Amino acid sequence: MQEVQRKIREKARNLLLAGSVDFVIGFEEGALLLRASPVFIHKEDDVEKLIWDSFCENNLAAYLTKIGNKRVAVVAKGCDSRSIVALIVEGQIKREQIVVIGIPCQGMIDRRRIEKEVEGEILEVKEKSDEILVKGDSFEKVFKKEDYLHPSCRTCKHHNPVISDILIGKEVKERAQVDEYAEVDEYEKKSVDERWDYFNKEVNKCIRCYACRQACPMCYCEECFVDNSYPRWIGKELNSSDLAVWHIIRAYHQAGRCVDCGNCERACPMEINLRFLTKKINKEVKNYFNFETGLDITVPPPLATFDVKDKQDFIDSGE
Amino acid sequence: MMKKISKEDMNRFIQSLLSDYTVYAPVNIDGIFSFKPITNFQGIDLNYQNSKKPPKEIFFPQSETMFEYEKGKVTSAEKVSRKRILLGIRPCDAKANLLLDNVFAGEDYQDVYYINKRENTIIIGLGCRRPLSTCFCTSFGGSPFSRDGLDILLIDIGNKYIVDVVTDKGKEILTDKFTEASEEEVKLAEKIKRETEKRIKSEVKIEGVKEKLDTMFESPFWDKLSERCLGCAVCSYLCPTCHCFDIADEAKDSQGRRIRNWDSCMFPLFTLQTSGHNPRPTDKERMRQRVMHKFNYFIENYKRAACIGCGRCILNCPVNIDIRKVLKEILTN
Amino acid sequence: MREKEPKILAFLCNWCSYAGADLAGVSRIQYPPNVRVIRVPCSSRINPLFILKALQQGIDGVLVAGCHPGDCHYISGNYVARRKFAIIKSLLEYIGVEEDRVQFAWVSAAEGARFAQVIKKVTEKVRRLGPIEKLVKTRGI
Repeated sequence: MQEVQRKIREKARNLLLAGSVDFVIGFEEGALLLRASPVFIHKEDDVEKLIWDSFCENNLAAYLTKIGNKRVAVVAKGCDSRSIVALIVEGQIKREQIVVIGIPCQGMIDRRRIEKEVEGEILEVKEKSDEILVKGDSFEKVFKKEDYLHPSCRTCKHHNPVISDILIGKEVKERAQVDEYAEVDEYEKKSVDERWDYFNKEVNKCIRCYACRQACPMCYCEECFVDNSYPRWIGKELNSSDLAVWHIIRAYHQAGRCVDCGNCERACPMEINLRFLTKKINKEVKNYFNFETGLDITVPPPLATFDVKDKQDFIDSGE
Repeated sequence: MMKKISKEDMNRFIQSLLSDYTVYAPVNIDGIFSFKPITNFQGIDLNYQNSKKPPKEIFFPQSETMFEYEKGKVTSAEKVSRKRILLGIRPCDAKANLLLDNVFAGEDYQDVYYINKRENTIIIGLGCRRPLSTCFCTSFGGSPFSRDGLDILLIDIGNKYIVDVVTDKGKEILTDKFTEASEEEVKLAEKIKRETEKRIKSEVKIEGVKEKLDTMFESPFWDKLSERCLGCAVCSYLCPTCHCFDIADEAKDSQGRRIRNWDSCMFPLFTLQTSGHNPRPTDKERMRQRVMHKFNYFIENYKRAACIGCGRCILNCPVNIDIRKVLKEILTN
Repeated sequence: MREKEPKILAFLCNWCSYAGADLAGVSRIQYPPNVRVIRVPCSSRINPLFILKALQQGIDGVLVAGCHPGDCHYISGNYVARRKFAIIKSLLEYIGVEEDRVQFAWVSAAEGARFAQVIKKVTEKVRRLGPIEKLVKTRGI
């Protein structure tokens, strides 16, 4: 990790010195323990701020739709790189604008889970190669990284960047045998009312801060449907019905676009299980259109195209 | 007046309050604490650091019906139907309510909805024995055991509470289960207070921030600060002093309601005008507005910053923006 | 007390399904009067929000009908629509909205009798589900 960090700084410095990018988006040390914070580096003197550790959880592609016509280098994990591909495919950014500093990712650490498993506040954190050591006033605990990855990282099949201009660090072995839709399959087995009760319980936690939307690289609409006032698609109130519609359509709008980076879920202050919706969307996109987001820059988004042989088992065709 | 009550008696006391009052208390839903009306004392979970959503929503709900109408008949919803008890609120949040009073019950404007809820609520605070490293209430004249804005302050000393009765309103609801606290018990409470206060290490310098901000409206500082901001409303919705709202109608045929909902200056829609013009077009202007409102305009209007140091925005920002750092940077800018 | 009749909203594409409904009408074919029709230029005009809005307002069932694949007046509108429908349909089922609340059908302009059949089938399925409760906005609208 130290080596990766050193190289990120070196490459960032070179890019800035050569004037090949206007700025570099990466991570700096967070204000809180177990956190890193996105940072924009404009001057080569600032590259020492850049870090790389197991808490670089944000999907930095979320910033790319705001860069205008600037040239930008961005530190990208597997998921970030897939979002970058998706944004290029959707014409939101140009490939030549972006210098992708790709970093094979081992998965990021689920800070909330660690915080929940200790009594009291964590006051010191040490990261070792495969362990996280945390200390508080009255405890000291070691967590095995592998067991405390973010839920999205646990089912990730694309740890290595899909595209990169500069690759830092060794490629990691992908876990091809992971069943990424196991949770969705489990959920589908529940009764219709059980499913509704769970969905309803989750969406009723929502406070409509739209952190999920803002954190998502693919939510780049100039005006979100929820903000439309004419027509006003959904009410502004905190009521179950409007909350349900918000979460259904937010997930639906991710069809063929979600890379399951988990940025929405981590941004949510109310800890709503948001991925259980987008994961289902991803599963159906795979099932119906055999498409996975952000893997190929030449394949159009699935909902912008069609195949005459698409499955239509759910439509009454009279046959 | 210092009283005491055992924890079992406290539970019974809470239960007895339920017949005359709607009691709002901390409830744990899937690990997230919030203040909800309870039906039984067993629903309360006082083993919390602080609630995720601030208790300002008891007086200023996220969605609040102002009136309803049907076929020309209008029913106002400004009065609460039942008296309320807000139990277990932290002193920092109680202080935040005093700040909100400036806005909703000040000289310029009297908000009937807010005032009615405020007047009909008795606030029983619970001193904070678990401040976090992100807490900085002491920097804004607060304390984990501040009595400001409370009717009663409870101090947990183990198997019982020391009950500091602050107002007459608080005194009225006491029963004979509240007995005089002994001198040792009061001393123990004092000791706990002092020790807890010492544990707040985070300090923020606020003097001079306003003056500095006076000169900073056009500063490139805001470009830098807003770069990483995602533009969500976590900071404003979880802030106990943010108080902006938007009014909307929900109507169908001849019936409908007028509702006010929380709004946030971090959203582009907040300032979007009918013409399509937006005076705060990017995250930069919106971020500036939020900081300015809290640490400049509010001081201008009410002689106090609109922050009480609860640390919610720091803990919950998806990109880890830290207001303490921001204030420091403003001073050194 | 008589059972409450289900209310069904049908989005019909202008060129096939609406004409199919018209043919059913002029041919005097009977079908349940539970259905309210909204004519749309093409099934691809349907935004899933339309469907959700209808359910929110207490419509018991929604039918979306368009041209058979290959027959679209706009060549490929219904192919594109089919992809959207597949996603929203499975998502709604997944979150626990009953399968038959939202149904899809292809009905051509020549299929007047089939249109009546589809409406009968849809109405029966929705009737079996009973009045909608999930997703309905109960207060005031």
